[in-house]
Amino acid sequence: MARLNDEGQWIVMMGFIISISILILAIAVGESSLVGKTTSESVLEFSKCDIQDLRSEIMTLKERGILDNPEIKNDLSEISIQRVSAVTYFSSWKEYNYNYIFLHFNNGVTTYNEVYDEYTP
Amino acid sequence: MVNNIGQLYTIEGVAAGVLMVFTAYLVINSTTVITPQDIHIIDLQLEQLGNDALSVLDTPNSSVLNPDPAENKSYLQRQIENDGGNAFGQNFSFLINSKVNPYESDNLNFNATIYYRDSATGQLRMEEFYQSANYYRENAVKVKRWVYVNPTGQNNPFGLEERDQVVLVEVLLWRG
Repeated sequence: MARLNDEGQWIVMMGFIISISILILAIAVGESSLVGKTTSESVLEFSKCDIQDLRSEIMTLKERGILDNPEIKNDLSEISIQRVSAVTYFSSWKEYNYNYIFLHFNNGVTTYNEVYDEYTP
Repeated sequence: MVNNIGQLYTIEGVAAGVLMVFTAYLVINSTTVITPQDIHIIDLQLEQLGNDALSVLDTPNSSVLNPDPAENKSYLQRQIENDGGNAFGQNFSFLINSKVNPYESDNLNFNATIYYRDSATGQLRMEEFYQSANYYRENAVKVKRWVYVNPTGQNNPFGLEERDQVVLVEVLLWRG
């Protein structure tokens, strides 16, 4: 049986170290792709634009003074259930010199509640 | 005649070969995996762009206390109440396809639909607002905007009820 030449062990060991470190770096690079995917997915899932849009529409209605119109309340809640797949509700009342608006949004993942107040002398 | 000289050299050679091929495979594979994440980032940017464009078009020039209807109504409201979808289509298309270089334009397409509620029956109805192209199976995102409208008189291109109401403008947006 042939005897192995035991010279050059340093070279063999450095070869192993380098290849294992390349392997670990490759795993790290592979993980980084997952990070971009999960962050953009979670941003897409969060209904930021839906809430901003609902809020801005309710402020428009408040400025026009038609917030208590029952047909408009029905429009918002019905269309919202069917097309935005979210429960929306709002109501307004007056206490002393303040006008309050309560606003609720729930799409099953994100819930948003707000009480908006405005001073009216 | 087969003999057993050099068995260890052969095994070592095979092992080294497997190790090198496996490492090269891992390195090449892990650097090219990066591409799939782009789909979600593009979706995210497209959704933001569409929402921004719609909110630009749905912002009135001045307060609702201004008596001039061209000033106290948003552009989107005026289009739905009076003018129909063509001017909206061109304006929206210009907004989403603008680039930093004014001589270049992007190639985004969209389908816009108006959803409104029939107060007599409570049914949800839809009208086509504008279609810049036919949608087949491209990777698309959906953006929405609530619009306050109060159509009156003879100019009512979508046949909405003549009352204070809120309609939903839904835009399907895709690249291609």
